[in-house]
Amino acid sequence: MSTRVWTRREIAVLLALSAAVGLGCKKDKEAPGAGSASHAKHLSLTLDWVPEPEFGGFYAARESGAFGTHGLDVDIKPRGQGETWKLVAQHVTDFATTSADQVLIAREQGADVVAIFAVYQTSPQGIMVHKARGFSKIDDVFTNPGTLEAEDAPWLKYLLRKFPGSVVKLVSNSPGIASFLAKPELSKQCFITSEPLQALAADSDPQTFLIADAGYNPYTTVVIARGEMVRDEPETIKQMILALREGWRAYVDDPAATNAVMGKLNREMDAHTFAESARVQRALIETDATKKSALGEMTTERWQTLAQQLVDLAVIKKAPPARELFVSPLATP
Amino acid sequence: MSSTAPLRRFVASFGPPVVVLVAGMLLVELYVRWANTPIYLVPRPSKVLLTLNLEREYLVAALWTTTKAALVGFGASAFSGVAIAIVLASSVWVRRALSPYTVFFQTVPIIAIAPMLSIWLAPGLKAVSACAFIVSVFPVIANTLAGLVATDPALVDLFRLYGAGRAATMFKLRFPSSLPNVFTGLRVAAGLTVIGTVVAEFLVGELGEEQGLGVVIVSASHNGHSDRVFAAVLLASALGLAMFGTVNLVGRRVLANWHASARD
Repeated sequence: MSTRVWTRREIAVLLALSAAVGLGCKKDKEAPGAGSASHAKHLSLTLDWVPEPEFGGFYAARESGAFGTHGLDVDIKPRGQGETWKLVAQHVTDFATTSADQVLIAREQGADVVAIFAVYQTSPQGIMVHKARGFSKIDDVFTNPGTLEAEDAPWLKYLLRKFPGSVVKLVSNSPGIASFLAKPELSKQCFITSEPLQALAADSDPQTFLIADAGYNPYTTVVIARGEMVRDEPETIKQMILALREGWRAYVDDPAATNAVMGKLNREMDAHTFAESARVQRALIETDATKKSALGEMTTERWQTLAQQLVDLAVIKKAPPARELFVSPLATP
Repeated sequence: MSSTAPLRRFVASFGPPVVVLVAGMLLVELYVRWANTPIYLVPRPSKVLLTLNLEREYLVAALWTTTKAALVGFGASAFSGVAIAIVLASSVWVRRALSPYTVFFQTVPIIAIAPMLSIWLAPGLKAVSACAFIVSVFPVIANTLAGLVATDPALVDLFRLYGAGRAATMFKLRFPSSLPNVFTGLRVAAGLTVIGTVVAEFLVGELGEEQGLGVVIVSASHNGHSDRVFAAVLLASALGLAMFGTVNLVGRRVLANWHASARD
């Protein structure tokens, strides 16, 4: 058996290629700043569902160049599998969206994740029923026979505690609205910005009750980051918050162009539903509070209330200090 | 025979896998402690065992719900699978026409079909059992059919010479000789039934008192209780093992005196 020896030329070419690959992979350690698009910091944002108006501001920030203006190159990845806070904690993604109650659950499990931006000031979580049932309040869902499709989430525990002696049959939440369309006696969990609009488009008679109106109102579509990133890279966090604020401002003011972009990524939602959803969610995103402060802003009081609710529901054992849970954009210079 | 022979056989059969299980759990426990792995990624086996003990009422109730659905699904796939295989084996043309469609049971994504089943049958036990049936029936059909068509041609000729009709040939020759294949199919189906049941419960299971292990897994995962997730997974695995073991035992009893596969 002959053994071929590498020639000096081949070795030189191999070394040159290796050096080129190595230089290409070198991380840019420069801090982000305005106008430094060529040195943009590469980051990833994992969404916890498919592209819908719920995430419109993120896509708007990308499409309008807001991320680039703030020195960021953000890769948006829709529909993270499982609890997205685990992906953040394990460095699989830099940022992710989740709900505020998941942040508290995550921190109790030892995951150092921190909220930096809250899209929904009023949670769009709701229960959808058929109008023909004649319900007038959310209590009726639990005090009348029927079936409720819902996941076993903290909001359900809250409602079951609020309405003891509930007679409704609880079943797992199936994807889509087919079951709701097929069964007049079925109630179903929903985001009021999504499933009811799809049901209306299918000529059904949905009526929705907001769970926030019943007293459980966590921030929703909350952008989270690792605590170490918040501490070690405050400038990156600040620029991200500013970019998100600009993106959401742009989307709330005029969602059409961004909806067209998202529509290509999510073929299951038509243009009309995209537009309607963006319209319905405006009041949940821009509230009196954010008009005084800024889009995405969070308060200590809201986090403390949520933490105590989760303790009362035995979802978490202890309420952590609110200052550990979020970063306030207004605190950034 | 020595009176301790059954005990020795039991230890010889179950001892090695139990030793492997305990050793594996000890290794994982040591690694998780040494690496300080976050609990939400991998809970310590000791914590999982503790959860199994502290929450046994809750978990055993869920196990019972899953077991009921799995048994209904398995029973349906065993009966229907064998029946379908007999029909397919009865005629070459029937087999050629219909066999390809049995593959549907193997390839249909249960996640897509479960919500439709919950509409047609109602969520809970009915829809979950139907999913378990769909997932587990194909191996029974395929293996039983393989056994039925592989009957010794010389014996088939002998039956014909003695004037046996199709039904007699099927039920007195072909079916008995295919029993080893039937039990092979049932062994595979036993494990698949549990998988199909748990996955169906993710999507169309009942919550509350009648919730099964699938609902426990989803709920615990959503609320960050990885120890409960693993405890439920362990119980689901135990159920699968129990069903497999039962089929194995029944197979050995049925085939004991006349087939080599039952003797070892």
